Amino acid sequence: MTQKELHNQRLVKEAQETIMGKQTRRHFLKESAMGLGALALGSLVGGCGTKSSPGTLFDPAHPLLPKLPPFPGRAKSVIYLHMAGAPSQLELFDYKPELIKMDGQACPPSLLEGKRFAFIRGIPMMLGPQAKFAQHGDSRAWVSDRMPHLSTIVDELSFLRAVSTDQFNHAPAQLMVHTGSPRLGRPSLGSWVTYGLGTENQNLPGFVVLTSGGHNPDAGKSVWGSGFLPSVYQGVQCRSEGDPVLFMKDPAGMDRDLRKASIDAINEVNQQEYAVYQDPEILSRISQYEMAFKMQIAGPEVMNINDEPQYIHDMYGTKPGKACFANNVLLARRLVEKGVRFVQLFDWGWDSHGSNVIEALEVGFINKCRSVDKCITALILDLKQRGLLEETLVVWGGEFGRTPMQENRDGRKAPFKGRDHHTEAFTMWMAGGGIKKGASYGETDEIGYHAISGKVEPFDIQATILNQLGFDHEQFTYPFQGRPFRLTDTRGKVITDIIG
Amino acid sequence: MPSSLLEFIGHFHPLLVHLPIGILLMGLLMQWLSQNEKYRPVQQAIPMVFLCGTITALLSAVTGYLLSLTEDYDGKLVNWHMGMGIGVVVISSLLYAKERNIRLAMDKKLLSIGLLLLILITGHLGGSLTHGSDYLTDPLTRIIYSDSTGIATIKPVPNVQEALVYRDVIRPILQTNCFACHSARKQKGGLRMDDSLMLMKGGKDGKVIEPNHADDSEMIRRLLLPVDHDDHMPPKEKPQPTESQIDLIHWWISQGAGFTKRVKQLGQTDKIKPILLALQQVSLIAKMPTDIPEEAVVKADETAMGQLKQRGVLVLPIAANSNYLMANFVTDTVINKEDLQLLLALKKQLVWLKMGFTNVSNEQMAVIGQLTNLTRLSLEHTSVSDDGLKPLQSIQNLHYLNLVDTKVTKAGVLQLSGLKSLHSLFLYQTTINQADWATLKEAFPKTQIDIGGYTVPTEVSDTTEVKVKRS
Repeated sequence: MTQKELHNQRLVKEAQETIMGKQTRRHFLKESAMGLGALALGSLVGGCGTKSSPGTLFDPAHPLLPKLPPFPGRAKSVIYLHMAGAPSQLELFDYKPELIKMDGQACPPSLLEGKRFAFIRGIPMMLGPQAKFAQHGDSRAWVSDRMPHLSTIVDELSFLRAVSTDQFNHAPAQLMVHTGSPRLGRPSLGSWVTYGLGTENQNLPGFVVLTSGGHNPDAGKSVWGSGFLPSVYQGVQCRSEGDPVLFMKDPAGMDRDLRKASIDAINEVNQQEYAVYQDPEILSRISQYEMAFKMQIAGPEVMNINDEPQYIHDMYGTKPGKACFANNVLLARRLVEKGVRFVQLFDWGWDSHGSNVIEALEVGFINKCRSVDKCITALILDLKQRGLLEETLVVWGGEFGRTPMQENRDGRKAPFKGRDHHTEAFTMWMAGGGIKKGASYGETDEIGYHAISGKVEPFDIQATILNQLGFDHEQFTYPFQGRPFRLTDTRGKVITDIIG
Repeated sequence: MPSSLLEFIGHFHPLLVHLPIGILLMGLLMQWLSQNEKYRPVQQAIPMVFLCGTITALLSAVTGYLLSLTEDYDGKLVNWHMGMGIGVVVISSLLYAKERNIRLAMDKKLLSIGLLLLILITGHLGGSLTHGSDYLTDPLTRIIYSDSTGIATIKPVPNVQEALVYRDVIRPILQTNCFACHSARKQKGGLRMDDSLMLMKGGKDGKVIEPNHADDSEMIRRLLLPVDHDDHMPPKEKPQPTESQIDLIHWWISQGAGFTKRVKQLGQTDKIKPILLALQQVSLIAKMPTDIPEEAVVKADETAMGQLKQRGVLVLPIAANSNYLMANFVTDTVINKEDLQLLLALKKQLVWLKMGFTNVSNEQMAVIGQLTNLTRLSLEHTSVSDDGLKPLQSIQNLHYLNLVDTKVTKAGVLQLSGLKSLHSLFLYQTTINQADWATLKEAFPKTQIDIGGYTVPTEVSDTTEVKVKRS
């Protein structure tokens, strides 16, 4: 073999390797689908080559364009306030005078038989309410002195006083509330809603997530994930300190036109990719780049709470420049005002076990209440005076409740007053978006342990939220793994008693 | 042999039945083909095919018999299916004999046609047993009655007090929730609920209804068990009745569980009254917004809608089942003449219009005044003033008007006092203040007027934190 022949051989080999390198896994599957095993493999790459999969509302080129609901909804947007860690209903809304009498007594065995708790072992003591209760407003709703501001607006709210769940650990319970399943992998409520309705303002994301309290929720980002829905519907988490979204400003030396030109160039490349692979996720990516460009103009304007007048800052009790729940609440109102579909707020730090100062019902819990009471009250009143409450559904709650017993972790007396995780009954409330004003649904027994009437589960709350937005939760499905999936699985009843 | 083993064998029936159907039909096809010269050689194989068909038909019949012993099917239908199935076995064996040239005084053609008919009828009866007798024709009836859902729905009762308790109230609930497993086609647990006598008789474990004693009735007990409980009815994976439906059944049993009385003839508790009244409404989720006209409207002009969308205006029907439209200028805040002309083209359908944060001017409001079907109009954060409100006098159906942060004054708003449907009026951040409230309330007695300006006082506790008390 001559030198020249060797050289040519090497060149051919290199060319072949380049071609093989282009045969990506997806490409390989797509090619294989033509041949043997076409049925099985074909379904794996079924998403490729179709503009939108049959039976879905997904238009890859315009994934967030507003869509019409099956029937006219009462609510256009949702603000969901999740108190991660599970606030104690017995110190806030569920007044149990009988429990005061039982304070310090051993828990009756009937309440413990066959039950499992996250931390309670052996026989715990009962713990009376650690707050003073009074009835408020025309609706005579019981609210404790932990929420002095909220108690002035109870006539705007609808209480669900007997919510139950079947998960007693934070992460699965949070997933249950937001995705309808305690396990990972299902789309979150906000993803379902933006998938079904799109969003009105094309210059802003449709599903915004804001967190406070120093931590993300225990279940992580899956509580705002898109699961099997196209990834464009996942929640967009904005930072609550500094710039809400990083790199919103054009970098020094790069002007708007140059920015546009570079995005056009990237999209051109993506278009070519799409022409080859026909993967709808590429179209989503193109539209995301375009949205990012538009957001650079609309974003800073909407996300900046500093241009609110001082009296609004006073009303919400914001701390400009710092990360806090009040800032997020004010931002939520601004986003909804500008046509964002779903705003999800998580506030961490409500896990009042009593094992340290932060988890103490007599210390940390009080401070948590103080940090949310004023701004949530302001939110309801502010939405109301702006004519937005009629079409904005506000939901407040945790992932479960807390036990009427004092926690005795590892069988020892806790250093502070605290309660364990409780699944049987807890309180949530909703307001606006066509929900009754001043209503109350459900009741617990005289110590707040079990629901005795009007028991609802997370599926029922999800069904109700979808109903207010114009969906029948039983018909709203997405095909995945060969069957239609829905947020509420096989369960869920619209809670008609709180619909106005 | 133990009965569970027999049951196991019986469960092979649905699998086996398809073999004789296929094989025997194939035999008949070959028989017909072999008359043609070209296919003559096929004839050789025909006896073998019929033998196989006969054997699998026999196996199917035996397993079918075992299955009929263990599952609760409609007896009459099962007997017919069994008789026909045995007929298939007999005739196919006769055909086999005939094909083997055994002398029989029977016409081969007649036997073949008979077998074909028998297979079709037996198969159909079998299908009716497993899927219900209306399974085949149901989609057709839906085409005829133009009902695409196929889900049994409860229709509203026009006058609930005059309605028959069982026929109009209770039976529809049972029909949607129970009949799938407890009626003519299937009687799980030996219970059949579509017939009043059989319903009162109960299932194989006894009565399910104790008239006048709802709480002692098995049916109520099972309905009220936790969904996850094994005895809960309907089973967890099936659609569940609503709480008010269970209340209705409870009420009906406690009132004697009769079949002939009218609602007004029974005692009505305070709890049941609103539930009965709710039956008159269209559906469970009938609490729709009131700001959509009741009369139907023709579809909107597609080109006008398309042009508006091109201009960045969001225009879309308010729901999938409606031709009424909403329009929103959220991303197109500069309104010009063309936009307004296009809106006018959608005048009939346009009911919700959002123009907040736009540059809409008083002159342009003259055009908005011509959109007389509007029920919701948002003009917040615009420079609209009193002159701009005047044209709105003609929008008689207006329910919702948002004038937050506009230049309107009390005098301007009072021009609109003729709008009798106006339900909510928002005047926050205008020159109007709490002192004007009384005058406005007098002019708009039925309207919720929100002047806003709410404050939440800042208490010491809002800005301080609790510290650990040291003892």
